[in-house]
Amino acid sequence: MASVVSVEGLRKRYRHHDPWAVDGVSFQLEPGQAFGLLGPNGAGKSTVVKIIAGLLRPDEGSVQLFGADPGNPTARKDLGFAPEEPDFPKFLRASEVLDYFASLLGLDEAERKRRIPETLQFAGLDGERRQVRQFSKGMKQRLGIAQAILGRPKLLILDEPTADLDPLGRRDVRALIDRLKDSGVAVLLNSHLLSEVELVCDTVAILAKGRVLKEGTMAEVVPEGRSLEDVFVELVQASAPPRDQLPSFITDKDKS
Amino acid sequence: MNGTLAVARYTLVELSRRRILLVFFIIGALGILGLGVGLKVIYSVASSSTQGGFGPSNVDPAAFNHFLELLFLTYIFGALGVFGLLIAYGIGMTAIYHDLDSGAAVSIFSKPVSRLAFTTGKIAAAVAALLVIMGLLAVEARLVMFLFGGGLENALTVAVLAVIGNTIALMLLVLALSTWMNNIVAAIVAFIYYNVVAGVIAFVHNLTDSGVIGSGIVKTIFDVLYWLVPHELISSATGDLVRAQVAIQGARGNTVIAGVPQASTTGDIIWWAFVVCVFCGLVYYSVRRREV
Repeated sequence: MASVVSVEGLRKRYRHHDPWAVDGVSFQLEPGQAFGLLGPNGAGKSTVVKIIAGLLRPDEGSVQLFGADPGNPTARKDLGFAPEEPDFPKFLRASEVLDYFASLLGLDEAERKRRIPETLQFAGLDGERRQVRQFSKGMKQRLGIAQAILGRPKLLILDEPTADLDPLGRRDVRALIDRLKDSGVAVLLNSHLLSEVELVCDTVAILAKGRVLKEGTMAEVVPEGRSLEDVFVELVQASAPPRDQLPSFITDKDKS
Repeated sequence: MNGTLAVARYTLVELSRRRILLVFFIIGALGILGLGVGLKVIYSVASSSTQGGFGPSNVDPAAFNHFLELLFLTYIFGALGVFGLLIAYGIGMTAIYHDLDSGAAVSIFSKPVSRLAFTTGKIAAAVAALLVIMGLLAVEARLVMFLFGGGLENALTVAVLAVIGNTIALMLLVLALSTWMNNIVAAIVAFIYYNVVAGVIAFVHNLTDSGVIGSGIVKTIFDVLYWLVPHELISSATGDLVRAQVAIQGARGNTVIAGVPQASTTGDIIWWAFVVCVFCGLVYYSVRRREV
């Protein structure tokens, strides 16, 4: 069976003299697999998922989405993408945003009428009449996940999906990922919340400074008796200078 | 096609909810109404309260109404131009920029919609919104002209078409620039380029054409420059109004007539269409290159 996503030797930098934001990343994602992309801030996780979603162009290497270039709109037909800090046209309501995006997905009117109310209900936004500009961060995040699943994707990319959600919302997202995995949907989860990744992902890759430090199944990456957090901290600290020193003005006993 | 229609539809919904456009429209509508009614009332009062002194009491009523209508149209052309400019900036600065700036474009561009479909939808919606607002203002101006009944309706129609043509070109330029840079900077750059640089070139070109500036070198330079920059469409109504006002008020207006910009020729209209196509291409190129 063809890979859902195939990333090979991916490199990307934003400006010519900048360091590589992504430096030689390779991995594959199969149907029904939940893949966790982990890393500290600035590791290049969001850059990788944006390239897969066709939003950024790679400088080197290749990315295939359902066997095609992600820049090709038809390759994105079966993609659901919930971005980090999602935002939407400010003056639209949640139902209008979903109708807009459903139209972009090519859903006919009957299908839109069927899916939109159910999706709004799932996201806890049914009956919400305010415009997006009046939404809280959490509501935008819920709407971000709602629009990502609207097209019944075969690949769901969740970039920090639970960062602004309350515990109930987090539980709903975990349940959603489990259900989608069972139905053969591939999930690419990009998250800081290691406990969450440990719960839902089969495979993980740990990134730092744009490079993959370790990749494999959860059992391969996390040895018996250790947690994902232990492995993550150890790997990331080994790749960067320690940051456990507090500023001197905090530790100074002689306060002036 | 579906993608284009969806983008256009919801861009129009968004634009219809932007208060700034509503404010511009209301001020424009009230201004036109106030101008028409004000002119009529002030001149009627002035003519009835003076006998043989100020005012046109010694002029027959038809000529007087014609004069009022000319005056109204002169102001209206200016007012429509200014409001067209404001609305062009209002739409151009927001229609695409807000999607890119807010991050909405991330969700939109991850859907199976091409950048071409997105650009086409945005331009279609922006032009439609501009046509609706300017059309409503023009209809109102036409209704106000019933106060005067001077038979200059065609002049208004042609002038409105010219204003709409100019505002479309400017709006497309602002749309394209706001994809590259901050929308306020884009508006300033567009103003300097379109209204100042191109405006000065067109003005000097007009002076050389009408013989006010006689230097051959200047004429050659500005003939070349004129066809390198977008220049505003000008209806024949502008010159007609000045000539008619001069005729009513008496001769001594030959210098004024010489300074009035000449009506756009077929070449100017073709050039405008070319500039619009170039600006549309620039919008598409900017959107296509944009990483979000």
